[in-house]
Amino acid sequence: MVVNAENVSRRYGETVALSDVSFSVSAGEIFAIIGPNGAGKTTLIRALTGTTDADGEVSVFGRPPTEVARGRIGLLPQEFTPADRLTARELVTYYAGLYDDARDPDAVLEDVGLTDSEGTFYEDLSGGQKRRVCVGTALVNEPELLILDEPTTGIDPTGRRELWDLIEGLADGGTTILLTTHYMAEAETLADRVALLSGGELVALDSPDELIARHGGDSRLVIEADDEARVGETLAAAGYERLPDERHVAVPAGPKEIPAIVEALEHNDVGYEGLVWRQPSLEEVYVALTGTDVSVGGQA
Amino acid sequence: MSRVSRIKAEATAAWHAFVRRRTAVFFTFFFPVILVFIFGVLVRTDPTGGGVFAEPPGYYVAGYIAVVVLFTPLSRVGSEVARHRDGNRFEKLATTPLSRAEWLFAQTLVNVVVIGLASLLILGLVVLATDATFVASPLIVPYVALGVALFCGFGALLGRLSDSQDGVIAASNGVAIPLLFLSETFVTPNLLPAWFVPLMQLSPLTYFARGLRAATYGSATGTASAGQAGIVGADPFLNLAVLAVLAVAFFIAGAYALPRTD
Repeated sequence: MVVNAENVSRRYGETVALSDVSFSVSAGEIFAIIGPNGAGKTTLIRALTGTTDADGEVSVFGRPPTEVARGRIGLLPQEFTPADRLTARELVTYYAGLYDDARDPDAVLEDVGLTDSEGTFYEDLSGGQKRRVCVGTALVNEPELLILDEPTTGIDPTGRRELWDLIEGLADGGTTILLTTHYMAEAETLADRVALLSGGELVALDSPDELIARHGGDSRLVIEADDEARVGETLAAAGYERLPDERHVAVPAGPKEIPAIVEALEHNDVGYEGLVWRQPSLEEVYVALTGTDVSVGGQA
Repeated sequence: MSRVSRIKAEATAAWHAFVRRRTAVFFTFFFPVILVFIFGVLVRTDPTGGGVFAEPPGYYVAGYIAVVVLFTPLSRVGSEVARHRDGNRFEKLATTPLSRAEWLFAQTLVNVVVIGLASLLILGLVVLATDATFVASPLIVPYVALGVALFCGFGALLGRLSDSQDGVIAASNGVAIPLLFLSETFVTPNLLPAWFVPLMQLSPLTYFARGLRAATYGSATGTASAGQAGIVGADPFLNLAVLAVLAVAFFIAGAYALPRTD
């Protein structure tokens, strides 16, 4: 077991940041922690790296976090910002210089796709390039456990997908990866297992497929219209009950039911602007278990 | 060897980060220039008169150097701690082999170089632009190095206690200005109330200014009398020893105070 946490709790005054959180991460696994802002994700990461004092038992590679050989762990903290007037190469070289057995900075820059921008100051890099430099600084010691606290926050979709490729490549190479994210698609795409935190408590823990099967609900047809109340009434009359927690009108429907629903709307002369059929995803799991809309609070 | 490598990596990064902030570099060296120009050239000393600047020009050389030894590390290290906190850099460093003491030592090395250059600039300007005479004592080097280490530790403490870069600047000014004028730099003890003079022993800068003056100027004119100057008097080596002890104490306190996360 690479990481083991048992009954980890942390309070800040009256505020409970973590309450009896227990889980473990196996070697080679990609483990994602998701949850709303303030759920306790970053506090949990800090408990795992020994940078905050928490109650309960935490072990990394079988030892307390502060006693683990530093070269075995790589960390990208949340909102990490290195010196802005060092170049990408200088930053990677700097962090490599802190380890006895560091990787060649050229190889790290190549891994994160920054060979062509190695001489550019951090402040002049694009958002995606900045995050890739930051991930690069966590890779200089060739860690066995890579901890990424919201690695793709604030970067564009292209940059995000580039980082996903990098993370998947590292996992394929045997690196154990523990990440937190606000992006449900990220957790669903990358993670072998997902832990959902809410209010400092571990609400669910399983593979994305299992979580979706258990908590995601039915596939659904989402209808966008000017008069959505009338759409809802029409479909209710046709026997399709509206699902809660959707921004537009949504009814449970498999692919074969779509023609009948469209027919019901057109037969009653109800206009609509868009139809989207969607299978349940982690987003539905998140909404169902936390009662929080993913789009609220800055999540995408 | 690995400790040396880590300190070298940190100091190299800190040096590059500093020299590329042009405004910071400019004002670090402009500060001593304008200081010597104002007090040494425009105001000038008046050994025959009373009040401030009534000592011979050489008396104030230690004061000029004290200004950069005090202000620059206090604000630079304090700001650097605040920047590291804002960017969550300490959280990352806590998972690397670099210790807090090594981080502060690397910052201190950079400051020793920067302030060493600024001190050379001051001495050069004093020679060129004023009538001051002073002894180019080799003790200037350990005085500057230990003084910088002391105030780097102090700056780290301020960085820990302040919650922002603005807070660090306000706090460092709030600490530095009283210290500057109440530590035998420019205001001589005989201008202060008798009851206050013993309190000057509490300022670490007093040992720097008094000892450096004894090493470079030698005259006891204007300094505290033997009874007022505490047990070390004006002996440059005894003041250096006190400064060394204080530097170690502040360095350890500053390193310990560096935040990890919470």
